[in-house]
Amino acid sequence: MTIAAVASLSVVRLCSSTRNPAYSSFITATPRNFRFPKDSRSLSLVRVSSTHKIRLSPYIVRCSATQDGELKSTIDKVVNSEKVVLFMKGNKDFPQCGFSNTVVQILKSLNVPFQTFDILENNVLRQGLKEYSSWPTFPQLYIDGEFFGGCDITLEAYQNGDLQECLEKAMCS
Amino acid sequence: MGVSKEDVEGILTSAMKPTHLQVVDTSGGCGASFEIEIVSEQFEGKKLLERHRMVNAALAEQMKEIHALSIKKAVTPSKWNPIPKVQEE
Repeated sequence: MTIAAVASLSVVRLCSSTRNPAYSSFITATPRNFRFPKDSRSLSLVRVSSTHKIRLSPYIVRCSATQDGELKSTIDKVVNSEKVVLFMKGNKDFPQCGFSNTVVQILKSLNVPFQTFDILENNVLRQGLKEYSSWPTFPQLYIDGEFFGGCDITLEAYQNGDLQECLEKAMCS
Repeated sequence: MGVSKEDVEGILTSAMKPTHLQVVDTSGGCGASFEIEIVSEQFEGKKLLERHRMVNAALAEQMKEIHALSIKKAVTPSKWNPIPKVQEE
C-alpha cells in the first residue's frame, strides 16, 4: 500500500457501535488489505498481508504526505486524545528502543494511564511529528496536548519531581 | 561516514560558547549517537525544553545523520556542579 493511496489523514477510536460516523468513514476508506473481525466491539484490527498478520493498536493513524494542514490538525487531535500520549519506537508492551523503554517504565512506575503510538509503523507520522514538535528524535512525550520532551527531559523531570507535578496538573484539569 | 565527535564539539563550541563541554560518542566511533554535557551562559532564563531545543538547533544539520542524541546536562554555569576532583597535596 503506497502512502499516496491513502486519501486523508484520520484518527479513529474504535468503538462499540458501527453507527459512529467516524467508524463508518473509516470502513469506507479502508484499503482492501484490512480485514475487520466480525465482532464490531472488538478493539483491535487485524491487517492481513500476503505474508503475515499484524495486530494494530486500538488507535489507527493513517497519514498521507499530501496536505500539511491536515497532517497538523490530525496530530493536534492525536496529542489531545488522551492526557498522556507517547510517540515511541514499539509500544508500551514491547518497546523497541532503550530510550523509548525508559519513558515507558517511568510512566508505568507512576501508575499514570497513557497511550502509545508506534512511529516505526508509519513514516509519514514519524516525519510529521518531528516538524510538529520541532524535535528530531523519539520518544516524544505529550502531556495535556503539549510537548513535554524526550527521554532525557522526562528522566530529569522524573528525578526532580517536575514530571509528577506536571502529570498531576494534567490529570486534575 | 557519520558525524565525528570533533564535529559536534566544534559546532557546539562556536554556537553556544560553552564554559564546559563534554561530548561522548556512544556508538563506538560510528558517529551514530552521542552523549552531551554542556554548560553555557546562553541557557540563562531558559526552561529545560528550550535549552535542549537550542542544542538540537545547533546540531540541526548533523541530526540528519545522527541516530540518537542524549543531552545529559544543559545548564548555566551557576547550576553546574561538577563532581569535585580529589585535592592534590
